[in-house]
Amino acid sequence: MSEWVSSTSRPRATVAAFALALAAALGLSGAPASAQEVPEDGVYKDHIDWGILMDLSGPTSSSQGPWVTGFQDYMRKVNEAGGISGRKVNVLAEDNRFNAAADKIAFEKLSNQTPVIAISGMGTSASQVALAPTIKSGPLPVVGTYTPTKALSEPVSPMVYNGFCGYKQMAQAGVGFYVDQLKLKAPKVMTVAIETAGGRDYANFVAESAAKYGGTASAVTMKVTAVDVTPQVQEIMAQKPDFITIYGVENTSILTMKALAQYGLNIPAFGITYLGTPSVYQALGPQAGGNYTFISCFTPGGSDQSPGNVEMSAYADKVGHTTLKPNINYVAGWVTGQMAAEALAKTGAEASRAKLVETLAPGFTVDSKGLSAPIVYTKDDHTGPQILKMFGYDYGANKFKAFGEYGDYGKYTK
Amino acid sequence: MLAQVVFSGLALGSIYGLVALGFAVVFKATEVFNFAQGMLAVCGAYFAATAISIFGWPFPLAIAFMAVAAIALGVAIHVLLIQPLAGRSMLAVIMVTIALSIVLRAVIEMIYGPQGRTLVTPLPNGVITLGSLRISELHLTAALVSWACMAIFAAFFRFTSVGLLMRATADSHEAAVVSGVNVNTMNRLAWGIGSLLAAIGGLFLGQLQIVSTDLESIGLLALPAVVIGGLQSIPGAVVGGLLVGLIEQVSASYISPKSTDIVIYTLLLLILLVRPWGLFGQRELGRV
Amino acid sequence: MSDALYSKPRIVARVAPPLNVRLWRLLGVALALAFLAYLPFVLAHRSAFGFRLTNAELLNLGLSQINLMMIAMLGALSLNYLTGCAGLISIGHAAFYATGAMTAAIVGTQWGWPFPLALAAAAVTGALVGIIAGLPSLRVRGLYFVLSTLAVHHVVIFVFLEYQFRYFDVVGVPYDPPRLGSYALNTSMRWYFFLLPVVALVYWGFKNSLGTREGRAMRAMRDHELAATAAGVDVRVLRLKAFAFSSAIASMAGALQAYFMSNVTSEAFGLDFAIQFIAMIIIGGLGSLGGSLVGAAIWLLAPSIISGLAPQGGDASGWMGTLLVEHKPQLVQAAFGVLIILLLIFAPGGVAGLGRKLKAMLSPQRAR
Repeated sequence: MSEWVSSTSRPRATVAAFALALAAALGLSGAPASAQEVPEDGVYKDHIDWGILMDLSGPTSSSQGPWVTGFQDYMRKVNEAGGISGRKVNVLAEDNRFNAAADKIAFEKLSNQTPVIAISGMGTSASQVALAPTIKSGPLPVVGTYTPTKALSEPVSPMVYNGFCGYKQMAQAGVGFYVDQLKLKAPKVMTVAIETAGGRDYANFVAESAAKYGGTASAVTMKVTAVDVTPQVQEIMAQKPDFITIYGVENTSILTMKALAQYGLNIPAFGITYLGTPSVYQALGPQAGGNYTFISCFTPGGSDQSPGNVEMSAYADKVGHTTLKPNINYVAGWVTGQMAAEALAKTGAEASRAKLVETLAPGFTVDSKGLSAPIVYTKDDHTGPQILKMFGYDYGANKFKAFGEYGDYGKYTK
Repeated sequence: MLAQVVFSGLALGSIYGLVALGFAVVFKATEVFNFAQGMLAVCGAYFAATAISIFGWPFPLAIAFMAVAAIALGVAIHVLLIQPLAGRSMLAVIMVTIALSIVLRAVIEMIYGPQGRTLVTPLPNGVITLGSLRISELHLTAALVSWACMAIFAAFFRFTSVGLLMRATADSHEAAVVSGVNVNTMNRLAWGIGSLLAAIGGLFLGQLQIVSTDLESIGLLALPAVVIGGLQSIPGAVVGGLLVGLIEQVSASYISPKSTDIVIYTLLLLILLVRPWGLFGQRELGRV
Repeated sequence: MSDALYSKPRIVARVAPPLNVRLWRLLGVALALAFLAYLPFVLAHRSAFGFRLTNAELLNLGLSQINLMMIAMLGALSLNYLTGCAGLISIGHAAFYATGAMTAAIVGTQWGWPFPLALAAAAVTGALVGIIAGLPSLRVRGLYFVLSTLAVHHVVIFVFLEYQFRYFDVVGVPYDPPRLGSYALNTSMRWYFFLLPVVALVYWGFKNSLGTREGRAMRAMRDHELAATAAGVDVRVLRLKAFAFSSAIASMAGALQAYFMSNVTSEAFGLDFAIQFIAMIIIGGLGSLGGSLVGAAIWLLAPSIISGLAPQGGDASGWMGTLLVEHKPQLVQAAFGVLIILLLIFAPGGVAGLGRKLKAMLSPQRAR
């Protein structure tokens, strides 16, 4: 692959430089200066290819699918307005069916078969770990991950930028909120998690946070495919925690909250960001869902009147994705789309992978105008969204409600 | 507390029993181990969701729609997929049911999207308190309906002429053909019934959780129930379901939630080694 | 059990074919070797003989895909040996892959043994686990045995999951970069040239084993067990031997997969992983080793090819556009499932069966 770059890019670069000089000399500053083509980076005269690697038809497609739709919708909006530097953005979404082997194949495809300038998403943690060495040694950057992993995020690399809040921040903000809200001195927290790697991680983070406030934490697990959670609820009744946090899939939240209502337990519970979807609240109903909140770094569409939210909701309505816009994953995809588009715009007309990395590495900020707290990347911090807010659902008004502003939550995740 | 666990185990086991019953009916009639049974439950749940939420029909009409659609689906599967593979090796037929579940899943996701859907039904959602026991009304309804279904089908197979014909056909295809029975019709009926039972199970599961293609896993969860009870035995499937439900809840409560799989499958292995025809099945004699 | 799926016995004694036929065969083999040797270069550099090829012309395939296909071929070959040739249907193949991966992790990552030794250790452990998994076959047959392999699968995966959580980081079991002596397997090209002879060796190993007296006894056992026993075949020992050989290879394949991916989780070895091997051997044709290779190729490569053929329909309008853009993965899955069903209904012998029919059509004079 490297032979191609050295043998063909130099003559092309000279032609591009000459063309630009000519255009500048003729004072055609308004004309699209996109004569430059770098096919092996996915950059063409009239379009740029941007890659997405997510689970579109496998077990986690119900959350990863809307993310991709959000991203694609933002790019569609950008393309309708004329594109970036005269080029349209073409989104190549590869499906990995939550399978690490398929991810490896898809990554290679986006690297040099149908090359793209950058990748977003990468929703499978195992693949992130497996591909981490390849990604960090370049040249294809990952701009906006769907889930952060230690292997890819530490140490900070100019090739990787996280696009979703991490479990650590979720635990910190969630525990902190309830400790303050319920005015607890020595909080007793319980984590209900599915028996997976992420679940264990999350439970550990919750325990850390609880310890910080002088409290204790315990955990109970359940199967992903569970149908009944009586044993878990028995454990909750035995432990009598002050509040609960839930990690897993939508089912986990639904079963847990319904069981809590069934046994008449009035314990507040909050789920991780991915569990704050309309379908969970609808399945729970006001009785079981009244005690359920979720911690999130993104704001559900249609829940407030911030400019970013209004803009996104309007566009979603226009393209027929009204039911998707309150879905937190859709919002995350949309904001990541914004991040990608702004990165491309900042890189300018002479785009290439290297140039993109050069533009992003020193640091940049994404202001989603209310859809999230401002996302700040610095040279040494690529954590991405770090400020999370607690949300609940107003069954009366049939929409999401927020507990306070993002600014109030900065202290939990510092 | 033990009583609570036992009750929830029995409620869960009733749903397993329903799905296992569907397995057993299909297997007894056509000797096909239907790996798509879980997906048929999902189809049933989606039929119900479509009738209720999209068409907006009242509940009894929606249930009737679901039943008819499920039976039609079962019959269609037999005609299109099972009949052409008559006489082929078991592996080929297993593979076709697996391919079927792939296709069904993809088609459902194409039509409805991968989002889960809420099933809005008038099924009771409250709780009954008996002393220190708190029983979910939904679980109780599911258990009662499952028992009713099992009783109805037991009676059907034992007392009606059609049921008798089906059992006879299952025992010996040649004798049935010689007696002038249309074996294909009997088999299609069996598949229709199996699909209907799966659909009812799917309805309750969808109400307990959320209607999505993830409900498919109930098929594999019911598998040990069928084996423990006996693949060819109708009452066996029922008892097997209850047993598996009980064991699952008890081991989740007293050992650990993740131990349930291994406990059940170790039990499965033991039964296969000691009494492979299950608790209620009949020992098969081989002919040279 | 006379079933059109199984391959018919070959005529052992035959006359040497005439010289021109032998020359043609030699030419064919030489061309095939040349193709195999040049293929990785074409895929890596996306050009052949200096002409740049588009992704569509290359059928949307990449070198990693071919490598994973070759590792899957090992699995398909071993499963076909077990099921197609020895008649033991098993859904437990993922468990043996997991066994190999776990053994490789213990001896390779934890104890620091070199890569070739880790592979050998995986094979040995696989054989042992295979014998244990085969023990129920002494007691039950047919569907019940299939279910016992399912139970074995769950038990092994549980053990792997426990191992993963206890000894390693939550996100999976890591593997050191593999090297053969001082030659590091760090590019797709190197993996390709390593895997190619491995697959060839395994293929010939199985083929030769089937040609021996024991191999024939195995096929006799598969076709009619009671008759075979009456003819003096020790069915029980033979069954366990078949299991041992098959699981050893599957285990080794698991270790190879683990090293290739450099990180595996227990989810990688789920039931759908086991089922895909069954699909491969059915597509290829039960009992045909060559068919297993084709079956593995079709299963691993077809989704990409289908996906590449369907246009990146960003501009297509209406429901066709929605289908191609929003639901393309589902469309690919559905097409794939339908393809399998059609193959099962209309081509019972799998690809091998079709190949035989074709050969019979093309050479009507040749006596079989």
